Amino acid sequence: MDEGDFALLHDIREMFLAVDPMPASLPERIRFSLALRELEFEVARLSAEEDEGLLVARGAEQSRTVTFDSDSLTIMIRIDLNCDGTARLDGWMAPPQRRVVDLRIGSDQLTVDADERGRFVFSRVPRGSAQLVVRAQPGQPGCGRAVVTPALIL
Amino acid sequence: MSMESRETVAVQIGQPARAERIAGLLQAAREGQQDAVGQLVTELSPLLWQVARAAGLSTGDAEDVLQTAWLRLLDHLGDIHAAGALTAWLVTTTRREAWRVRAVARRQVPSDTEWLDAVPDSAPGAEELAVTHEQRRQLWAALGRLPERCQELLRIVAFVPRPDYDVVAAELGMPRGSIGPTRGRCLAKLRELLSSGAEGTFE
Repeated sequence: MDEGDFALLHDIREMFLAVDPMPASLPERIRFSLALRELEFEVARLSAEEDEGLLVARGAEQSRTVTFDSDSLTIMIRIDLNCDGTARLDGWMAPPQRRVVDLRIGSDQLTVDADERGRFVFSRVPRGSAQLVVRAQPGQPGCGRAVVTPALIL
Repeated sequence: MSMESRETVAVQIGQPARAERIAGLLQAAREGQQDAVGQLVTELSPLLWQVARAAGLSTGDAEDVLQTAWLRLLDHLGDIHAAGALTAWLVTTTRREAWRVRAVARRQVPSDTEWLDAVPDSAPGAEELAVTHEQRRQLWAALGRLPERCQELLRIVAFVPRPDYDVVAAELGMPRGSIGPTRGRCLAKLRELLSSGAEGTFE
């Protein structure tokens, strides 16, 4: 690319800035909706990830342990590969508590209950990018906000 | 110079400073600083706006797409490690979501609308204009006569900072080094149209 090309790209940018600029209020509105999301959800952060391939082997598959921390909850998940190519998630929550756990994969959602020890299982889920949402059971008092994890790859 | 063009030139001149600022904000965002994400929204939304509109979306749909892209970023911050990767991730996510929304919209309202139709009718009319606006109108007309993929590509590339070209090109599905030739071909065609002075009418 020569200077003429750079100048032309500059002119293209100038033109679109003039005839079709981003609405000036849009960034602020987006920031507001991101802030709302923070209010609605407690966002957990990835705090640890380990491969246990050598230590905990199931046949030829590897195990992976992922830990998320939020203000009110720690969630540990062990991810195993099933023989049929799906994944299995074994989860533990601390402090231990009954909750409802959603697993969101793409536009699909699977839901299980966690027991009083905070233990839950998704025995056969498709692999791919997924998120967990931990929320109160219907009628469960004083639970606080739902907790959402970042996307993880199964 | 207008405020916007002064800002544009400043952005171009200050590329290293800008890249450093974005890298700092990305790191702060990954560490959980909410305000850092907000600053990234302010810094990078103008580029993403052009990406969404270049896909032919209405202003309302473009706004929704940007919001979706930023919300999705919150869930993927842990996967992004460099400023260039952030720009590429945002451009790709915005473009894919824009295409998805456009496909849905087209199924509902069949149309062969090109992106030019999505722009408000504020494009200046020939009879009212000074020279600089006349040049802009010629550029507008010439762009409109390029293949759709060239129009979209040039509009996006015009807003991507030069240091991020390679990473963005890889994400746009072009092999490393080919964004140059492809962009070069589109630019060559555009220069040809402009220098021939042809005033095409477009539907």
